[in-house]
Amino acid sequence: MTPRRRGRGLRASVTLAFALGALGLSTILAVGTYFSARHFLLEQRERTAMRQAFTDSALVRDSLLTSGAEVSDVLGSISPPAGAVIYVRRDGEWYSSALDSSGPELTAKVQPVVRRGSVGIAWTDATDPPAVVVGIPLAAADAEYYEVSVAEELDRTLWTLAVALFVCAGLTTVAGALLGRAASRRVLAPLSEVTTAAVRLSAGDLDTRLGPTEDPDLAALVGSFNHMVDALHERIDQDARFAADVSHELRTPVTTLTTSLTLLQNSSGLPPRSEQAVRLMATELARFRRALEDLLVLGRLDAGSHEAEPISIGARELARQALVASDLSPLLVRAVPDGGPDPEIRVDRVQMLRALTNLARNAELHGGGLTAVTVADRGDQVDVHMEDRGPGVPTEDRARIFERFARAGGEKAGTGSGLGLSIVEQTVRNHAGHVWCADRPGGGAVFVVRLPAARRPAP
Amino acid sequence: MAAPGSLQSHDIRAEVPPPRSGDVVRGDTMVAMAPRLLVLEDDVGLRRSLRMVLEDDGYDVIEAADAERALAVVSDHGVDLMLVDLMLGGMDGFSFIQRARPHTEAPIVVVSARDGVQDIVAALEAGADDYVTKPFVVEEVKARLKALLRRPAMGGPGETRARDDVFVLDGQDGPLVFDRGAAALSRGDDEIHLTNTEFRLLSVLVDNAGRVLSRSALLEHVWDQGFFGDERIVDVHVRRLRKKVELQPGSPTILVTVRGLGYRLDTR
Repeated sequence: MTPRRRGRGLRASVTLAFALGALGLSTILAVGTYFSARHFLLEQRERTAMRQAFTDSALVRDSLLTSGAEVSDVLGSISPPAGAVIYVRRDGEWYSSALDSSGPELTAKVQPVVRRGSVGIAWTDATDPPAVVVGIPLAAADAEYYEVSVAEELDRTLWTLAVALFVCAGLTTVAGALLGRAASRRVLAPLSEVTTAAVRLSAGDLDTRLGPTEDPDLAALVGSFNHMVDALHERIDQDARFAADVSHELRTPVTTLTTSLTLLQNSSGLPPRSEQAVRLMATELARFRRALEDLLVLGRLDAGSHEAEPISIGARELARQALVASDLSPLLVRAVPDGGPDPEIRVDRVQMLRALTNLARNAELHGGGLTAVTVADRGDQVDVHMEDRGPGVPTEDRARIFERFARAGGEKAGTGSGLGLSIVEQTVRNHAGHVWCADRPGGGAVFVVRLPAARRPAP
Repeated sequence: MAAPGSLQSHDIRAEVPPPRSGDVVRGDTMVAMAPRLLVLEDDVGLRRSLRMVLEDDGYDVIEAADAERALAVVSDHGVDLMLVDLMLGGMDGFSFIQRARPHTEAPIVVVSARDGVQDIVAALEAGADDYVTKPFVVEEVKARLKALLRRPAMGGPGETRARDDVFVLDGQDGPLVFDRGAAALSRGDDEIHLTNTEFRLLSVLVDNAGRVLSRSALLEHVWDQGFFGDERIVDVHVRRLRKKVELQPGSPTILVTVRGLGYRLDTR
């Protein structure tokens, strides 16, 4: 395929190919039909002209022989068929049934044949439309007989035929294009199903498979597509399991390390350098432990498992608990609309509390401190806004910061595991919600968690 | 994993002290002896480090690498507290808790790498009192041990027992009497044994009799845990307590569930 053609779609190509094929075939058929019909009609015309000429020439010969009359009188006495003119040459003189003198030119092609004593037939373009010229030697009367009949009807017939064939070829081409379009749609229908499946897969719905088909031509495609998805699923599972398995194996050693380090921290009389080393170890080990805990949490979230039975709880109440758990004042929580009832959400309390705590901690670490938590009752949805007074998040980073191990700036950057916001994102997603980051009016960033409101039991 | 050859080397400290009289009589005017703590953990490193830290914290620590040895310690010497790992070579932690429970009321804290909901519930159902998942900070374990060991409002014999330390929970059948000072629950002439956690849970409930207590409030008061504790701990222990105080635990009349809010103790 040349680069120039790349712009054309598969469907357009198929349609074009069908149209061109139909055009080619119908043209060949039309041309063939035209020429064989023309050949047949010409032959027929010539035969008719010949027969007519023989009849007429016999009449002329007999008249010339019996009465010894003048040629002009003989020609005047017989009536040639419509569109036909009879010429007779005798003793170098030309006689015509139509009182014209174009005989010598019209019959030029057959004259040599006739003079040699044979019957001649030819077409002449000197008339319009062309005419068939038949020449017959009249040896007995010492004359040459010529009959020129204009093929008026034949020409019209051939013209009509040509027009009809041309129209047919055109219609066939259009039909071919339509057929091509229908065929391409039919052929491409499974492709659009594959496209839909691929879109759903890339959106994260890994349980998407193509439906079974009875079409043996499609079975291979469906089979290999589904096989590919299975392999992909397996691979993703393996990756997730690997992280979970590694984290699991690290649980006990990390616990032993932190416990043993506690002993060192509690013992007095260590040389100052050792004490400094112990402090460094404690800091890094705490960080390691947090990262491990976050990985384990993510593993559980990825597996979709609950950590507590889902309960209905007021969003403001949960936000207050999150602030208390983060050593922040629960008075930062505000309600929109003011004074409305606490909107209920149905959540795994442990997981959602952790997510909100992570957002609060994020605001404290990277956002210059949490300024307000606004809980907005939107009817079917509940929004929790976590606002900070930091530098805000650049537009291009707003999706990236929710990715695993993405690092944010800020003076305390590098203290977290890089998983905090991923945990938020996964938790909210598991609760059929959505989290995003935006600019706070007046500076800073706002993280919005939007969750479906719990169905209130009918009063 | 406990290699068979390693059993004699460290399973039980060679210097396990003989049973002391001070352990048996609680609330003696004598200074109470160090609480005896069993650490059942098959990982040598963690077991050793826990022992050292907890000894520094004033416990008399006995190590066990497998459940069989731990059961022997429980029945031969008696313990005040247990730290139990679930994944062990041979008999697992769940079976150990089930087999040890009839012999002792000592609080059991499970220390495990397993954090599945069903594991936690299964361990609590088997008779454990609390559950800590690895990786943990030892301070957290120390706090929970301390909370479980503490019996609230337990007066010594020298103090006058307040009248409201004796509660009649059910005046009709039995009657069912909870004597907090004596840490005793009885229905008629039958003494009903309470584990430490059940005692603490019942104590908090009777202090708030007639009032609804949310699961998180109970978590805070009984287990000293913040908001991150699992509320199923409460449910499991309420179920266990119901089997002791209710005549028909399936349709409770004393320890009732208030749907969506929590639990309430109603005296009859």
